[in-house]
Amino acid sequence: MDYDTKQTAAWVTGPILLSLVLFGTLPLWVEAVGLYQYLGVEVLIWVIFALGFNLLLGYTGLPSFGHGAFLGIGAYAFGLAQFEVWANLWFCLAAAVVVAGLFGAVTALFLSHRRGIYFALMSIAFGQIYYFVASKWTDVTQGEDGLLNIERLPVDFGVVEFSIRDNAGLYYLCFAVYAVLVVVLWRLTNSPYGRILRAIKQNQTRVAFIGYPVTLYKWSVFTLSCAIAGLAGGLFAMAQEGAYINVMSLQWSGIIVLMVLIGGGFVSFWGPVLGVVLYFVARDVLGAYTETWLLWFGLMFVILVMFKPQGIAGIWQDLARRVAARRGRAPDAVSRAEG
Amino acid sequence: MLLDLIPHLINGLALGLLFALLALGFMLIIGVMEVINLAHGSLFAIGAYVALAVMAPDGGLPYAFMEPYYALPAVARYLIALAVGPLVAGVVGMGLELCLRRTYGADPLYGLLLTFGAALVLEEAIRLVWGSSEYYLPIPSGISGGFIAGDLIYSTYRIYAAVFAAGMIGVLWLFLNKTPYGAVIKAGAHDSEMVRALGYNLTRLRLLVFGFGAALAGVAGIIMAPIWGIRPVVGVDAVIPAFVIIVLGGVGSFWGAVSAGIMVGLVVALTAAFLTDWSLLSMYLLLLAVVTFRARGLAGKSSVLEA
Repeated sequence: MDYDTKQTAAWVTGPILLSLVLFGTLPLWVEAVGLYQYLGVEVLIWVIFALGFNLLLGYTGLPSFGHGAFLGIGAYAFGLAQFEVWANLWFCLAAAVVVAGLFGAVTALFLSHRRGIYFALMSIAFGQIYYFVASKWTDVTQGEDGLLNIERLPVDFGVVEFSIRDNAGLYYLCFAVYAVLVVVLWRLTNSPYGRILRAIKQNQTRVAFIGYPVTLYKWSVFTLSCAIAGLAGGLFAMAQEGAYINVMSLQWSGIIVLMVLIGGGFVSFWGPVLGVVLYFVARDVLGAYTETWLLWFGLMFVILVMFKPQGIAGIWQDLARRVAARRGRAPDAVSRAEG
Repeated sequence: MLLDLIPHLINGLALGLLFALLALGFMLIIGVMEVINLAHGSLFAIGAYVALAVMAPDGGLPYAFMEPYYALPAVARYLIALAVGPLVAGVVGMGLELCLRRTYGADPLYGLLLTFGAALVLEEAIRLVWGSSEYYLPIPSGISGGFIAGDLIYSTYRIYAAVFAAGMIGVLWLFLNKTPYGAVIKAGAHDSEMVRALGYNLTRLRLLVFGFGAALAGVAGIIMAPIWGIRPVVGVDAVIPAFVIIVLGGVGSFWGAVSAGIMVGLVVALTAAFLTDWSLLSMYLLLLAVVTFRARGLAGKSSVLEA
């Protein structure tokens, strides 16, 4: 992840605009290409989740294998806030963010001084603990049945109110969240804070020697990432009109890693977005032909890790570099512009 | 009251020794390849499914073709299963190692991710061949059933499983510590580049050790099959205790893994006896309690995995 000052100082860049245009117009053309509105909702929610997750995996180099748990915690928090406290969209979303963030903050206390594979193993353990508690503590979570009948609450601005009961309405709420989040995360990852995260990924010991509190940085980025997962979870609870246990399982926590890696989260800000889109489109397109589409997707993933672990974004950067070299431009200029 | 606990303790011991056997294969692979093999549970499942195909007429092999074979006594088929299951798991493991070669020397995360993908693929492949339904591995009548001693009922199979696993662990210890092959494997786990520098064929060593670790997973899968049942997700159920045991016992310690395995087995079995729903959670709480105070587990040494 190279950076140059012109790109990183900007709040809005070409790729951000492109993504906003593409996602913003999606409800208009998604059915024309043979897909459906709800797919757009799913994609955006998982994009939000994946962008937050990539703060850990791609930027800080922390392989969390239990992140699905925080998506689930956000979804349960959203549902419980709605049922038990106050059925207001903003309040419930805030509850999802805060509760997932708090769980993340406590979890990070145990994780943030670890690194590498030990970090991965401990994150699996925590993910499993939350999964088991959610599946057995039926008084709160309804266990395997899930929290049912979570409502899609109206978007209330005081003077005006929009209903999001149809998928297009919910889609635009998710889109608004995405639009804010993508700009904030772009700035964050290119701020001094983001640079230290990248430095920790490269050499944690050296960052500590320079005098930065590495553990504090890791703790804070883990908490932030969990809070974003909670936000995605709150939206997911509305999309599914329920909060279910399955996203908290080890399998789903692994699949988010798989999505981010296939897209190229290691080398690009946009990796998670590409990966999520590819995963869901593959699920629907391959899934239409074969029951065992995950077999083929998994094979693709294995081959990618073997030959091109930088993912789609890495392949794109290679191509861009090659084109640039042919035109006789500086070989690195293009890849930097991709961020 | 205390006597009532004995069957649970035996169950826990059987479970723990099987977990330990699984975890030791997992650890051999970590040692020599520096890879966390998330597909280890899938190899465990493959052992179980292959044993099922060898043992039971509805286990996946074409029945008409195999009819004379199924006329063999159950004991003979069981012994064949015990040989063929680990063999197939070992061969699949070697195939996995061939794929893994490209990740050596890179970030160990890539190995973890590759084996996660492989676990996904193997699980789906199992679904493709055997479907999603649950099977039970038939066992010869000599080791099935139970008996009564005192006022308590003991399951014969659990005792057989504990003895079998303990025997395997003993043989493995002898192999690693008393034979020249074991010495090379241990040296490879300590410093694989140095082993290469001394003139050993490291490429072949890695292939064989991965195959051997996979075969151990296959054996554990067969012995566990009558206790847990056989279903596609059994791989995930198995790989998690294996990694818990490795973290708990400490990477690189043989007896650390064995004692951690027994601890986990006993804790799981005792919680299962009193609080059925929470039995697997207790395993993680044990892990957290130990690792919070001893970062490298009970007997772990500093290792490459922390980089």
